[in-house]
Amino acid sequence: MQQPDLSRMIGAEIRLLLKRTSTWVLLAIWLVMSVTFSYILPYIVYRSGSASDFGEDFDSMLPGQLLDSVGSGLPFFGGSIVLIMGVISVGSEFGWGMWKTLFTQRPGRGRVFTAKMAALGVMVIPFIVSILILAAAASGIIAAIEGAPMDWPAPTAIAQGLLGGWVILAVWTAAGVMLATVTQGTGVAIGIGILWALVIEGLIGIFAGGISWLGWLVDLLLRSNGYSLMRAMFDGAQGQDQGPGSFAGPYVSGTQAMLVLLGYLVLFVGIPYLLLRRRDIA
Amino acid sequence: MLAPVRPAADREHADIQELRLRDSGPMPESLVIESQGLTRRYGPITAVDDVNLRVRKGEVYGFLGPNGAGKTTTLRMLLGLIQPTSGTISVLGSGPGTSEGLARVGSMIETPAFYPFLSGRDNLAMLAAYTGTPSSRIDEVLGIVRLTDRAGDPFRIYSLGMKQRLGVAAALLKDPPLLILDEPTNGLDPAGMAEMRQLIRDLGSGERTVLVSSHLMHEVEQICDRVGVIARGRLVAEGTVQDLRGPIALVIRADPLGEAKQLVDGIAGVTRIGIENDALRIMFDPRSTLDPAYVNHRLVAAGIAVRELRLDQRSLESVFLSLTSPDHAEVDHHATA
Repeated sequence: MQQPDLSRMIGAEIRLLLKRTSTWVLLAIWLVMSVTFSYILPYIVYRSGSASDFGEDFDSMLPGQLLDSVGSGLPFFGGSIVLIMGVISVGSEFGWGMWKTLFTQRPGRGRVFTAKMAALGVMVIPFIVSILILAAAASGIIAAIEGAPMDWPAPTAIAQGLLGGWVILAVWTAAGVMLATVTQGTGVAIGIGILWALVIEGLIGIFAGGISWLGWLVDLLLRSNGYSLMRAMFDGAQGQDQGPGSFAGPYVSGTQAMLVLLGYLVLFVGIPYLLLRRRDIA
Repeated sequence: MLAPVRPAADREHADIQELRLRDSGPMPESLVIESQGLTRRYGPITAVDDVNLRVRKGEVYGFLGPNGAGKTTTLRMLLGLIQPTSGTISVLGSGPGTSEGLARVGSMIETPAFYPFLSGRDNLAMLAAYTGTPSSRIDEVLGIVRLTDRAGDPFRIYSLGMKQRLGVAAALLKDPPLLILDEPTNGLDPAGMAEMRQLIRDLGSGERTVLVSSHLMHEVEQICDRVGVIARGRLVAEGTVQDLRGPIALVIRADPLGEAKQLVDGIAGVTRIGIENDALRIMFDPRSTLDPAYVNHRLVAAGIAVRELRLDQRSLESVFLSLTSPDHAEVDHHATA
């Protein structure tokens, strides 16, 4: 008997994500945060002429550094946002009892999970594109106001940025999915995920400065590898040790960063896949 | 064949078992559900214990048991949602939870679960993608459960009855030959219950097989062709409702009782006579043409005063209570120890 069309299942999951209010709320939060902290506040600081670490680099707001600016927010703001999206999209299925409904349809557990993950992977794309468009608009406006040059990145660099950004966000989304599946819900998963993303990785990085053997661990953190991938792609996004989500290293090579992130992706997708296939659905 | 599931321990149980054995004929080859030794344990607790379930093609099978008896656990195992600790399951010739089997099974387990922010129609569209069902089928099933008018409303504002009906609509999407419905009338008002029962009867009127669980005797009596009774995880009886209720007895209150007993004993077709509460309780061969009016005529003609003459059959409720009572378990426990 022929299996239902996977593309139709993915399409249904994408429509489901689009109809979730949380998807739009998260996107809006990310867009507002990114524009506010990368452009609006730094520009106000710049215009006021006050000496501040935050926004002192005027060039970072211009079109020439669009990808650096967007890229520097992906492993931090963006990661946390899509982690929540991953948690909600899978964790709420436990709360609503949807797994029993979905798993008693025709495709079987593996294909249901595959469709969900594929839809999340697709949904990450408009997230990156949206932030890129908004950031471009903000930097274009600033450049126009200040009479600065409109040196936009080359299309190939933009494509490269989108690809790298997708990998970073996909890993964070999958981390959310894994946490939601392990905890079988949303609340604890979001708590753990945000704590890890915003606090623990940063603290490990700080202590690694004084404890040498923690260095190897830092090289494996999501944040290190995310920033390293961005830097390798644009020779930028190096973090300026300023503002929330700053990152000042250590960096690993671009190849290593990509391999580590892909490894995480496999792990974060594989664990929930196995759990959902084996677990009893009560 | 229908082997006795548990040894009977008193007269009532003996009656039930007797009739179950009489029901034992060659089993139809067309079993759509068959479990052998189905068992599920949670640590020291045995939720389902050695259940041999056999549901025949085209019947409405009632899975009757008190709350916590193991009905839902059994149904979840049939659908592959829960792995059995031991035993085997065949659903339409496939293993539980396999794509081949699920393609031909529609189900609603406990409270229907849907996305609260989607409309009823959008929820069905979502499931249609997962079942490979054409979108046109959505309107058909909405029509069957009479939910077309409210199909555009969000699921979260549906009444319980509407949620149940949407659950049945979802189960029907695949137009499956087998429906598994877990307590589909739960929480419905009397009108909703009557409507749901009629719907289930309609759904099971053709070739389709319906397995419906319930703890409501009159519901099962109304809609089911055959019944399996589960108590404390074990299938304690299985047969038609008539089988479970036992044979119809002829109760006669007459004076003098001894002469009446002697006379009735000589009538062809009578198989057993007992005295209960100062009345004769006469069992007779159901294949015989014994007419109560004839018995009455013979008694009156012999000068015996007949004060009461009626047909009597145990209610399913009394059968159910005796089968599921803790005393019954105690007896069976000792019997199997």
